Amino acid sequence: MAIKSILIINKSGGLVYRRNLSNDESLNSNDYLIVASTLHGAFAIASQLTPKALQLSESPLTSKIDYTIPYIPYVGLPRTGANTTEKSRFSSSSSNNLGTTNSLGSFKGSDYFKEPFQSWNKSGIRQICTDQFTMFIYQTMTGLKFVAISTQTPSSVTNSEYSTISVQIADNLLRKIYCLYSDYVMKDPFYSMEMPIKSECFDCRLKQMVSNLP
Amino acid sequence: MAIYSFWIFDKHCNCIFNREWTLVANSSSGTINSKQNEETAKLLYGMIFSLRSIALKLSKDSTGNDIRSISTGKYRIHTYCTASGLWFVLTTDFKQQSYSQVLQYIYSHIYVKYITHNLLSAFDLAEDESETRGQGTKKIANRNFITALESFLTPMVAQ
Repeated sequence: MAIKSILIINKSGGLVYRRNLSNDESLNSNDYLIVASTLHGAFAIASQLTPKALQLSESPLTSKIDYTIPYIPYVGLPRTGANTTEKSRFSSSSSNNLGTTNSLGSFKGSDYFKEPFQSWNKSGIRQICTDQFTMFIYQTMTGLKFVAISTQTPSSVTNSEYSTISVQIADNLLRKIYCLYSDYVMKDPFYSMEMPIKSECFDCRLKQMVSNLP
Repeated sequence: MAIYSFWIFDKHCNCIFNREWTLVANSSSGTINSKQNEETAKLLYGMIFSLRSIALKLSKDSTGNDIRSISTGKYRIHTYCTASGLWFVLTTDFKQQSYSQVLQYIYSHIYVKYITHNLLSAFDLAEDESETRGQGTKKIANRNFITALESFLTPMVAQ
């Protein structure tokens, strides 16, 4: 799963962050603003379009859908991440070295979280498959949307379970990006809410996380 | 229940056919070409239209990049667009990843057979200028088409 770009959309539909991780830069920032607000609109419409069959039999059918996202170990962390952080935490020499690549900011342990979590995105768009890419959307409780565009297409994958697994991996990754956001953007006193993110620290952490993906 | 509804849109942005199944137990329940679905059809068309334009914008080259499916938390939408501007849209649950063959079959073996190869059915449902801009309400009412479509889709409804 190669990630092509990451977008963050605020609760009013504005683009606050965009990072292209592949080399081809075909769109200008204005186009991305349009993409973000269109996605925001389509997201709102999708929840209005719930089929009547689901609306009528609200309890038996919808209760079958499980919104728990399983924890997938070490998505976006270095392969040996588990061992090295454990070591650095217990060895006194490197414990106060904040610049190590394996420290997780203000998160303890070898990974940001280790339990399955609930998805807040219950009726909005979660995945868009097209001929050339797949787009994943993770929404937080506060209405912030994290979008990942992956270069993988459904036709290139033969596994029939691909769709559900890729959504789970993407949700795990985007939740970790949300952890980064809460750490490096929300704790920045110079950041004004709903405005574009200009944090170098966040940028470099995010790049590192995405480059750790296989 | 595996499929929830089926829609056809023409090149004039009109919904020319819709079928919605409402009861899980009864695969013959639901509505065909209902007036109540007019609003839903417009919302569905608008959403797919805007997402298609995003997909086209983000595509690497000019070969075109079409939406295959849109998944939400509760249901999944599958689309199949032809070069003549017809859109075949199916909303389903999550059991199956791809319905592109199903949609292709509906187009090539049901739509082409009973609508395109039928001299008595209108070639284009928008007859005058006022109906070519998304205002038309004409629907496909061909009996053979509806019977063939029903018999093809019914086994999938309560899967």
